[in-house]
Amino acid sequence: MKITTSKGEERWAYWLLVLPAVLLYFAVITFPTIFSIYLSMTNFSGGQLFGAELTFVGFRHYGEMFKDPYFWLALKNNFYIILVSVFGQIPIGFVLAYVLFRKLVGLQNFFQTMVYLPNTISTIVIGVMFQSFFSPYGAYTELLKKINPTYENTLMLDPNLAMIPVLIVILWMYTGYYMIIFLANLQKIDISVIEATKIDGANEWQTLRYVILPALSGVIVTTAILAISGSLKSFDLIFAMTAGNPARRTSVLSIYMFDNAFRGAPNYPLANAISTFMVVLSLLLIVIIQKLEQRFGGRE
Amino acid sequence: MKKSYQLGFSYFLGKILLYGVFWIFTFLTIYPLFWLVMSSFKTTQAFQMDRLGLPNPFFFGNYPMAWKIGKFDILFGNSLFYTITTTLAVLLFSFMAGFAFAKIKSKATGWLYKSFVIGILLTLQSIMVPLFLVTNAVGLYNTRLGILIPYIGIGLPMGVYLGTEFIKSIPDALIESARIDGASYGRIFASIVVPMTKPVAITLSILTFTGIWNEFMLINILASKETIKSLPVGILKFSGALATDYGKQFAALTIGMVPMLVFYLIFRKQITQGVSAGAVKG
Repeated sequence: MKITTSKGEERWAYWLLVLPAVLLYFAVITFPTIFSIYLSMTNFSGGQLFGAELTFVGFRHYGEMFKDPYFWLALKNNFYIILVSVFGQIPIGFVLAYVLFRKLVGLQNFFQTMVYLPNTISTIVIGVMFQSFFSPYGAYTELLKKINPTYENTLMLDPNLAMIPVLIVILWMYTGYYMIIFLANLQKIDISVIEATKIDGANEWQTLRYVILPALSGVIVTTAILAISGSLKSFDLIFAMTAGNPARRTSVLSIYMFDNAFRGAPNYPLANAISTFMVVLSLLLIVIIQKLEQRFGGRE
Repeated sequence: MKKSYQLGFSYFLGKILLYGVFWIFTFLTIYPLFWLVMSSFKTTQAFQMDRLGLPNPFFFGNYPMAWKIGKFDILFGNSLFYTITTTLAVLLFSFMAGFAFAKIKSKATGWLYKSFVIGILLTLQSIMVPLFLVTNAVGLYNTRLGILIPYIGIGLPMGVYLGTEFIKSIPDALIESARIDGASYGRIFASIVVPMTKPVAITLSILTFTGIWNEFMLINILASKETIKSLPVGILKFSGALATDYGKQFAALTIGMVPMLVFYLIFRKQITQGVSAGAVKG
């Protein structure tokens, strides 16, 4: 249909509508990202940012980063979080969603609320709460003392154990998130297909194995990506719960970066090198996601 | 489905197992919160004497003290201001851009839209340091505007995505006939598109509202002045120097927790929908 509009008016309207979002987005996300890459290769040490004379030093700060044992410690912890998410939250979340979807238990609304509830509370509140909960004066210690009166709680003090409570809280907190995603997608499956396989004599396992899991393959890929990129996002909870301590053993990349930029003498180029590393990592994940989706997705 | 295979011994065992799992989750959710709230009604001495039991008697004094120490009247006001302003701005700008992307032809749409979608998966943590440096350099450090601009910016990728996908589903004929009647694009946006976006507007509002209400990382580095901080920053104060003042710490945490719990219980359905809509692929 031909519309009585001049091309000029159309273009004018388009940019007027798009501009606020584009400007804000570029100012807040695109520009800082690019600027960060630039800064990571200079010797910027604070003070005037624009117009200052910066010496280009190449990839020196990346070398510094890769040589720092704390970087590897942080990366390892991010990796642990990925493991807990992908092999803990996703399968448990799926099973819970499936049980609710098939109405294998009663009280579905109640249980759904209880599993999802931790997601709604501010991560800072959760973090500080569990710092107290797992501390020597907390409920966890008292409960274990009821079982074993000589129990000494070193969970939050022992560098080798400190990551365990963090991972438990992460598992507890976000399993409900994946449950909701799976539940929403299960509800999109045509119920008559499931009924038909039942009539054909398939049992619960077979229905799950041959009908439901294939239908959700795309969603599983998506949740895996969300879990991996979500693990890179972990900051608030750990910041409030342990601040990366003891001995920086619960640090993750974002906290490692925070420490270098805001604690003690700032090392901005190093912090920007870490930022850049994280951007590259997330972009890499986006590419992997899209490749995986092309292969396995599209059947939701 | 009263299939006979479901009714054997293993059927009941299975039921017990499934209920067991859900009750364990329920316990794990309820118990820490219950412990927190109960401890907030104990004096610090009473808490040290008995760390698990119920408060006896209930002591309410922690709340007014925590409220005062935490300056929660200021922080609540700020949190509300940031959350409401950001949500409104994200809605408006996202739907404007979404309308243009979905209904006005332009060569720019392809890469512009893609750059927004990439933003959904980019980790915000990775821009925290550069954002701090840039905010400082342009003189917006410690200002409300310096917090609002990043908040709106980070809300936009999801908003533009949801807005564009939704507005695409509005029939072209509706917009074309309005054009023929002589309506401008602004007019069409305000009187046709916006009223139709209600379902996605609710989803997006809830995603943005809860996201900004709980946001901590950015405001922590972009503001040092008490008067412009928000609730999560104030709550964290109770974990450092005040951590041994148990009663007040627990009261502060309860104060920080209750608004979101109430919000969730009211908007449970919409939040659930928002979460599944938010879990989009890149």
